[in-house]
Amino acid sequence: MLCKRLYAVIACFLFMILVSATVGITAEKNFRDSLYQSGRLKPTDSELKVKVGDRAPAFSLPSMKGGAVSLAQFAGKKNVVISFVPAAWTPVCSDQWPGYVITRDLFDQFNATLIGITVDNIPTLYAWTRQMGNVWFEVLSDFWPHGDVADQYGLLRSDGTSERALIFIDMDGFIRGIHVSDINVRPPLELIMEGLKNMN
Amino acid sequence: MRYVFCFLLFAILLFPLFFSFSAFATGVAAGQDEMPRLELTIPDIPEHQDYLGVQGSPGDSFTVEDIDADILLIELFSMYCPFCQEEAPYVNELYEMMQALPADGPRVKIIGLGAGNSAFEVDHFRSTYDVEFPLFPDKDLSMYKALSGAGTPGFIGVKKTAEDGFVIVLRQSGGFHDKKSFLEQLLTSGAKE
Repeated sequence: MLCKRLYAVIACFLFMILVSATVGITAEKNFRDSLYQSGRLKPTDSELKVKVGDRAPAFSLPSMKGGAVSLAQFAGKKNVVISFVPAAWTPVCSDQWPGYVITRDLFDQFNATLIGITVDNIPTLYAWTRQMGNVWFEVLSDFWPHGDVADQYGLLRSDGTSERALIFIDMDGFIRGIHVSDINVRPPLELIMEGLKNMN
Repeated sequence: MRYVFCFLLFAILLFPLFFSFSAFATGVAAGQDEMPRLELTIPDIPEHQDYLGVQGSPGDSFTVEDIDADILLIELFSMYCPFCQEEAPYVNELYEMMQALPADGPRVKIIGLGAGNSAFEVDHFRSTYDVEFPLFPDKDLSMYKALSGAGTPGFIGVKKTAEDGFVIVLRQSGGFHDKKSFLEQLLTSGAKE
């Protein structure tokens, strides 16, 4: 009887190992396979409406974590870096924010926080960011009115997506740095470091 | 009897699953591929210079063939890849296992190439995960492409030939999940030189 139970336990154990390994591998493959290949796009397709030294346009947007997040809530407390990315489920964007998951210490060093904004709706952002690990930063949806915040900054492209851009806003609410990347290229991490240093 | 039946049923059901899993996970190259010439820069960390067995000033170049190893595992990773982040602790453990191999056996070493990553990004990945083995940036993906990389994380195992060059004996796309069997696979892959 004991021997039979042992067989059953071993079988269950093997089953669990194989399933967990397969699920892990499948998750990697599924995430990559789910990305929409947007091809090479026009590097930039909008005109900035803000400049360094301007007061940053205020906003309040729905957060993926629930509720709304406004720029005003960080005033006097934290520097803010906004990362606008064009769209969920696209190759470069899906290869940008996952890196920010392991950069919290860099932001903490400069008393700063990161806010990610896309024009996608909350369910899409939820599904997309699930594979990114521990997304510690706020992910906000600029879905409705569509791209309104991106537009206030002059970052809304003609196809309704936003530019790939980094906006550095100090604790007083003033813009201290703007970087609009070629949409096809991920901005290097040192660019964020440089922007963070400039705010302190 | 019921337990035995259940066990057999499990085994039958798992066989195709296991087979498909192995086929996807290992992707071991049949035979041996030629190793492309990869040029790296001498790291500024003295322990890394000693580990690699390369001499010169930091920033000087050397080739993979100069690395003092009989078997070398090249990890293709990216700081921006969530699956590489997930895999990092296991790769560290694999490195520890390599370090613990018998001294009279083949010298087995590992390096990492940060696909599309700058030196700063590679350094950030290194410090985040306390990676002790040498990591190198491959900002323009030239080494990744030369190695025919197929996603990150990825692993390429190479073995030293009698002519002091390397040949590729193992390729894996995706994480290895079981470090012990992966190391065993690395040690036994390819014909002995």
